[in-house]
Amino acid sequence: MVLLKLENITKRFGGLIAVNDVSLEIEHGELMAIVGPNGAGKTTLFNVINGVYPPDEGRVIFNERDITRLPAYRRAPLGIGRTFQIPRPFSSASVQENVAVGAMFGTLAGKVSVDGCLEIAERYTELVGLEAHKNKEAGSLTPVEKKMMEIARALAMKPKLLLMDEAMAGMHPKDIDEMVRFLKKIKKEENIAIVSMVEHIMRAVAGFANRVVVMHQGAKLIDAPTEQALSDPRVVEVYLGRP
Amino acid sequence: MKRTIPKYYPLIPVFAAYLIMFIIGFTMPGMWQMVALLAFYCALGQSWNIFMGMTGYVDFGYVTFIALGTYGMALGVQYFYQIEGLGIGIIFIGIFLALFLASLSAILEAAIALRLRGAYFAIACIGINEGLRYFIEGAKIWGGSEGIIFSGALTEAVGREVANQLTTFWADFAVFIIAALAAFLNVHYMRSKIGYALTAVREDEDAAKVMGINTFKYKTIAFLTSGLLGGLVGAMAWGLKLTHVFPGDVFVIHYTVECIVVVLLGGAGTLLGPVVGGLIYGLSKYWLAVILPGFQLLIFAPIIIAIIVAFPGGIIGLVKQRIKGTPLERYIV
Amino acid sequence: MILKLLAGNLTHGLLLGGVYGLATMGLSLIFGVMNVVNVGHGAFIMVGAFVALTMFTTLGISPVAAIPVALIIGMALGFFFFYTVMRRLIRAPELASLLATFAIGILLQEIAKLIFGADFWGYNWRVGKISLPITTIPMSKVYAFIGSILIALFLYFWFSKTRVGTAVRSVVEDSEGARVCGVNVGWIYALSFAIGIGLTVMSGVLLTMFIPVGINPYMGGAYTLKAFVIAVLGGLTSPYGAFFAGLIFGLIENGAYVFFAQIPGVAPFPLTVSLAFWMLFFLLLIKPTGLLGGK
Repeated sequence: MVLLKLENITKRFGGLIAVNDVSLEIEHGELMAIVGPNGAGKTTLFNVINGVYPPDEGRVIFNERDITRLPAYRRAPLGIGRTFQIPRPFSSASVQENVAVGAMFGTLAGKVSVDGCLEIAERYTELVGLEAHKNKEAGSLTPVEKKMMEIARALAMKPKLLLMDEAMAGMHPKDIDEMVRFLKKIKKEENIAIVSMVEHIMRAVAGFANRVVVMHQGAKLIDAPTEQALSDPRVVEVYLGRP
Repeated sequence: MKRTIPKYYPLIPVFAAYLIMFIIGFTMPGMWQMVALLAFYCALGQSWNIFMGMTGYVDFGYVTFIALGTYGMALGVQYFYQIEGLGIGIIFIGIFLALFLASLSAILEAAIALRLRGAYFAIACIGINEGLRYFIEGAKIWGGSEGIIFSGALTEAVGREVANQLTTFWADFAVFIIAALAAFLNVHYMRSKIGYALTAVREDEDAAKVMGINTFKYKTIAFLTSGLLGGLVGAMAWGLKLTHVFPGDVFVIHYTVECIVVVLLGGAGTLLGPVVGGLIYGLSKYWLAVILPGFQLLIFAPIIIAIIVAFPGGIIGLVKQRIKGTPLERYIV
Repeated sequence: MILKLLAGNLTHGLLLGGVYGLATMGLSLIFGVMNVVNVGHGAFIMVGAFVALTMFTTLGISPVAAIPVALIIGMALGFFFFYTVMRRLIRAPELASLLATFAIGILLQEIAKLIFGADFWGYNWRVGKISLPITTIPMSKVYAFIGSILIALFLYFWFSKTRVGTAVRSVVEDSEGARVCGVNVGWIYALSFAIGIGLTVMSGVLLTMFIPVGINPYMGGAYTLKAFVIAVLGGLTSPYGAFFAGLIFGLIENGAYVFFAQIPGVAPFPLTVSLAFWMLFFLLLIKPTGLLGGK
């Protein structure tokens, strides 16, 4: 059974076509990278999957359920988690409380008490290496720490699908390798399908994803296993233009 | 379960303050009126804070709830006092009507205004008290501009002595209870899922939705709670105490201003804030009434501006920063 | 008979609508540029009303001359409050500026109360009337209407033809983009706030030509509500939309009065005042962002 199925998704903003007839299937536990230059439509696609806005055409099917028009807040409990390109912490709350929000309103919503959520939050905070900061105000963290907290918060939701928006942007290559190892460990332990969106960090893509989707000007250009996708001449064209 | 009790520690200083106030008022001659006034402002502040403090939305029309609560009490007594054997039960009818009117208003307002963001929400709410006041006067319902005077009805229903006790003691005592209830609900919400949801809404409403939070539902819960408490305050502190209600008296934005002063001065979003703010504002109003009557807003308006610009956390906000890391942290929230 | 009454009232309503529209243009300008809703809007209208009153009764100067004075006072107040308060709140959460403008309004009311007392004032500017078949219109109202149209036209030209006006429009569109193009956004904020307040105070002067005895420190509240209704009707960010919406509102308000007066057992005047609220109620129900322009 396919976890997420996008059928002919099209999204326009005024006269601009941000996503152009994109169809995609993601399996349970798959590790995928969506690659493409700025303006390729990646964030828009994520937003449609998340429910930030509905597509103009097409359907989003999650676990065999049509969620195309479902409001955003009802998708989290179904198992769709998200981290943002620029972290969006709840600044005045502590790190542990931030992560606890994920546990409270994600797939565990209604099943765990507030204290239970705080415990879960503690575990994930430790997992991302922030246990020393767990009682600090989230707003006081460094950008990298905020990114890690975002990931912990999304993981606390116990999602089946994790959409990571440029999670590795601005990271040192060593940190990227760390992150890739970390994500692979997560996927193994929690069996989450992780879709990572990257602009161009091939190091991240190569080590991490089984499958790569290349987007260009809103449309899906390539959808293939990693090695194949990265050696496709069109990828170079997309980033550097025709020689 | 073991962890729940410490959650409510912050109520200790609040309840202690109310208890002390009550004892002073009850035992020292002539102090009851002043203490009642202070309790009024504390209760208002706590009630208003539940919505504004937790969501960061400002309901400029808040006085509508207090006014409708007053009308609820008035209508209850005025229209039911002739029922035999009802006696003191009539007060409960008044309370029920107060809650009913307040919740009706809250639900309508929530349905229309809470779906809007910050600025539009403020715009939507600011005219409610004016609108309702002139509608009552214009459509001549509920006594129109002449209001309702129900002291006679009350006396008939419960007898002169009981009526006297109700209006001079029990009405004010009820305000203490409402203040305590508001404080309890405030802490309870803060520590529960509702508190987490509303913090998220306040900080970043869109991110909150993506995290799975039904922002409208939680905003409405806070709004409804705040409104109902306001209605209760109105029913008791204005309705039962004064036994009359005039639209021109109760639907004035003045009291919303006072709520804002009390909460901002003490510290919006904190538990102890409205208590501190209520005490300071109430006391200054009481004393200023002797030397410079009617001047308190002139003095407090620039203070509020200063707080917004320089000390948005209010007095308790400053205190909290100082006591970080000390054991006092558990009590001052 | 009713129709004649209605037509007469509608004419008065249209004239008043022009002033309403002008008052709301200030609100829209400030919101469009700075994303701040001036919740103390009505208090500035009150200031204008008192300026007109004082100049007429103590200095014997006609309200027409009070208009430029009102503009200067308004802009001075605008600059003052911008630099002392509003500038520091640009990065603060939304509710901070809402509360601040609200508190400024309260401050102005209380100062007015201190100076003028809480009673109602009025003055009588006799400059004749025009007799039309449907109704008689005092010339003062006609002057007020002409005044509001002239000011609105002037604003239109200022926005579209001058450099500063264009800069303001650019900031409304995209403040970051404007900054990158070399626009001094901070100064534009200050100027727009000052002009917005100036417009509002001026409209207070014009308003006094319609309310012979209604000048009072607390008069602002009703006008804040009306301004908000008009803004929502015309689009909170479009000053021209606000002006036209003001005309429509004036028509509806006065027309409704005639209608209400026909219903037995109601008091038409308070009912008309509550009308603004019901209009807002329904408008927000169907289209919160206004019928023209929208965010």
